[in-house]
Amino acid sequence: MSQAAEILIAASLAVGGVFGLVGSYGLIKLPNLVMRLHAPTKATTLGVGGVLIASMLHSWFALGRFSVHELLITMFLFLTAPVTAHFIAKAHIHRRLSARDLPAPQVDRGWATLERPEDGSPDGDPGEKAEGAQPGGGN
Amino acid sequence: MSLFLIAALPFLGAVLPALLVRASRNAAAGTAAGATALALIGVLTHAPAVMRGEVPMARAPWVPSLGLNANLMLDGLGLLFALLILGIGLLIILYARFYLTRRDPMGKFYALLLLFQGAMLGIVLSDNILMLLIFWELTSLSSFLLIGYWNHLPEGRQGARMALTVTGAGGLAMIAGALLLGQAAGSMELSDIIARREAVQASELYLPALILILAGCFAKSAQFPFHFWLPHAMAAPTPVSAYLHSATMVKAGLFLMARLWPALAGTDAWFLLAASVGLITMVLGAVTALFKDDLKGLLAYSTVSHLGLVTFLLGLGTPAGAVAAVFHIINHATFKAALFMTAGIVDHETGTRDIRRLGGLAAFMPVTFLIGAVAALSMAGVPPLNGFLSKEMMLHEAAHTAWLGSELALPVLAGLAALFSAAYSFRFVAHVFLGKPRLAHAEPPHDPVVWFWLPPAILASLTVLIGLFPQSMAGELVRAAAGAVTAGAAPEIKLKLWHGVNEALMISAAALAGGAAALALHGPLARVWAVVAPPAAKRAFDALVGAATAAARRLTDALHDGDFGRSAAIFSVFAAGLGAWAWTAGGAAPLGAFPAALGPTPPIPLIGWVCLVTATLTLTALHRHRLLALVLIGVTGLMVSLTFSYFSAPDLALTQISVEVVSIILLLLALNFMPRETPRESSAARRARDLAAAAAAGLGVGAAIYAILVGDFAFAPISEFHLANSKTGGGGENVVNVILVDFRGFDTFGEITVLGIAAVLIYALTETIMAGPVRARLLNRRPAEPQAGDAHPMMMVVATRVLMPIALTVAVYIFLRGHNAPGGGFIAGLIVSVAFVMQYMASGFSWAAARQRYPYHAFIGLGVLVAAATGMGAWFNGKPFLTSDFGYVKLPGLEKFELATAALFDLGVFLTVLGAVLLALESLARYAWRPNIASAHPMDIDPTRDEAAQREEGR
Repeated sequence: MSQAAEILIAASLAVGGVFGLVGSYGLIKLPNLVMRLHAPTKATTLGVGGVLIASMLHSWFALGRFSVHELLITMFLFLTAPVTAHFIAKAHIHRRLSARDLPAPQVDRGWATLERPEDGSPDGDPGEKAEGAQPGGGN
Repeated sequence: MSLFLIAALPFLGAVLPALLVRASRNAAAGTAAGATALALIGVLTHAPAVMRGEVPMARAPWVPSLGLNANLMLDGLGLLFALLILGIGLLIILYARFYLTRRDPMGKFYALLLLFQGAMLGIVLSDNILMLLIFWELTSLSSFLLIGYWNHLPEGRQGARMALTVTGAGGLAMIAGALLLGQAAGSMELSDIIARREAVQASELYLPALILILAGCFAKSAQFPFHFWLPHAMAAPTPVSAYLHSATMVKAGLFLMARLWPALAGTDAWFLLAASVGLITMVLGAVTALFKDDLKGLLAYSTVSHLGLVTFLLGLGTPAGAVAAVFHIINHATFKAALFMTAGIVDHETGTRDIRRLGGLAAFMPVTFLIGAVAALSMAGVPPLNGFLSKEMMLHEAAHTAWLGSELALPVLAGLAALFSAAYSFRFVAHVFLGKPRLAHAEPPHDPVVWFWLPPAILASLTVLIGLFPQSMAGELVRAAAGAVTAGAAPEIKLKLWHGVNEALMISAAALAGGAAALALHGPLARVWAVVAPPAAKRAFDALVGAATAAARRLTDALHDGDFGRSAAIFSVFAAGLGAWAWTAGGAAPLGAFPAALGPTPPIPLIGWVCLVTATLTLTALHRHRLLALVLIGVTGLMVSLTFSYFSAPDLALTQISVEVVSIILLLLALNFMPRETPRESSAARRARDLAAAAAAGLGVGAAIYAILVGDFAFAPISEFHLANSKTGGGGENVVNVILVDFRGFDTFGEITVLGIAAVLIYALTETIMAGPVRARLLNRRPAEPQAGDAHPMMMVVATRVLMPIALTVAVYIFLRGHNAPGGGFIAGLIVSVAFVMQYMASGFSWAAARQRYPYHAFIGLGVLVAAATGMGAWFNGKPFLTSDFGYVKLPGLEKFELATAALFDLGVFLTVLGAVLLALESLARYAWRPNIASAHPMDIDPTRDEAAQREEGR
């Protein structure tokens, strides 16, 4: 394995490590949930990504074969990380926030997760939806 | 035709009507008749040999160590009964085709009928007494289903239950008696037992065996004091009554008495028990029958009476009595089946079976009248019909036998029974067919289609023919059967109509005259009977059953009050105590030293250990918060999977992870219906007790594991064998998989069956619960939390759709590599389940269920069938069940690869696991269903809505 390859792999690992550390630190330090949601994205994208790139480089240069495992891992991360983040945010809005606390959505529809299914018809009359966006109370 | 095939034909045929009834009802009846006819032909091919005195046999060892062998034989007695069972069965099948209405599930009827027929055939063909017992119990079970065929009627259900209870209890006595008899004779083969009369009767086991066997026979053949179930079994459809109570079910007890006659009969005990019970039953049944207003009730009690007659004849213990018994069995089967069928036709055409409302039907239904009259007169014992002949023989025997020291008692009592027998037979004709019409009909009743009355007509003509030409019609059969019953001691008999004027004829004439007189006096006699009649046995029976149920419930409630904590505590303490006792009792291998045995601890397991311990401790502290507890359980599961992986058990790790995922989802589903927090319900003392029990159990398990880790095994472990033989014997490099599908394939087969049963059980419980008041409560439930507006967010939907094909590909890969690398059917099944579950979760239950084409039950059934078929495939190569085979194949363009039958077996495992997981999930998900929960769109934010809105704006 050439010197350059070793440097490249080491650099990727260092990048991955730094972003992983920053992400984890942010997860602890940031004040509220929505902000905290932001921090691990660093770890899951660049953090894990750096390690994966290092792994691919290593198998290419040191072992002499192309490895696809890392691509699969990337794909699964890209599929699952947004869904997880989405659900966490959704649960947060749903349980902790009411429509009054939130900025008005740009289109003439309310926040999806705060619409009550029993309030509006699924055909979606905007007027009804605005009403439906009111806080659900304790039902 | 082999006897095995004959005995198996009804069972094999039972599948066809159930399947073909969707084609047409004629197809169902036709296949049922076809299977019966084939078996009948098979029996007939053996008939000449049996008549010559040979006994065709078919033998196969089953569990020789228990003395249980699948040995069949066909002697004269077996031939007689097989002909009755199959011949009358054939007529019943034809009759039932026209008796059952369009609302009755005909496929089920024929399937049950054939099952019953097969069980009966098995009884009469068995040469092994244990085989016979198996078939004996099968008749009890299948007759239960037949009697309760109309399960929407309470009488049907109660009658079926009563029949099952009485005959089942008798069956238990029978098992005990048969085992004792086998001990006494030193063999379980009937042919041996029969030949060892002296040994059996000299044994001290003779009396208990005799009493127990007779109790079983009496219960089955409705003898006093067990006779009460038979009239209640009349709630069954008439073809069932005609079949069960003329030729088959109730004759099984008589058959067994006849079968064991050479070994058991001839002693005082036999005479006192069988002849007395038979006599009492004969008289009691005859008297009761006269005062029954229900047409089938009358026939039921007359059946009881005639069964008593045969029991009495067998009980006499004389060869002549045995001949008469055999002959009466034939005659009773012919006229009684015809009478039941006639009663069914009357019921079918007029809509009632109440004799008080019937009358004068002869004018409307001449053919039915003719059939009924001939059969009833035969039952009355009027010459020249066949009932007369055997009744003469019975009276002749009765007139020449002393009972309880009296020469006169028997003729008088037998004559009395004959008198009442004549009376109720006359009543059947006179009050139903003669006299004035009493029923107001919008449309007068008429004779049914020819196919409906043909079966009883055939039987009625048989009664005439046997009566006129007894020797040529039945002589040979009676000789062969009586020869078998008496083991060759039967006198040379000549059946004939006219014996000259003797005592029997005089008693008979007096009985007929008395019977006519009793019928004339029926009104006053009925009023007397209403006063003196014995109390209804049903009430006593119900009270007894109720008391037994209450006692059982009290005992169960006392032992097991439904408190899970209590059960778990009892179990834990008991298991810990057992372990401590085993340890202190000595005999355990000495333990090695701890550090030396385990070596230094590397850091990675240490981290895992810390995680695991932290998770469990936190779980103990926070277990009242249910969601958190679930998360912590998930952590524990994950750590356990990692441990497996670390210790080079990738199969286990994969399985554990998949199981974790599925079970957490199932638990989440359940949590949906529970409060978020577990309330604190128990007292401090109780919690201390539970803590002590839990600590004892935990420390005990820890100590056991420690002992295993540092101790030596008492025996050499089997792992070496598996490792050495996996590749050469099972053709796979993955030893775990080879163990599952090959070495321990039978275990796996049992396990997937149990898994399937468990899933079906969850389904059945859900069905039951959802049919009850719980459903309304669930529907009215207000969710504890506000519900999300977008239950099915688009992101999740899209992600899971993308993952679906990937997950399926992974599953196929895991499945295919299973034999040689970590994987296999079980894991693949779980992965596919997870792929499906993702769709349910993301797109909603309704949306996903609507796209699920095949019921999950089918997956379970198919899986078990595939596994079983693979296992049976080995038989065709002369190997035992589930022997696997493998070979290597080279196809052009591909590398050499392996094909193993174990993969097919694994496919069965895969299908069952998939079906079971998803069926359980689907069932649990049904609890959450509420109106309006189903969305027409896969995503709640439906893109088409916006397009529609834009179109609206553009307009």
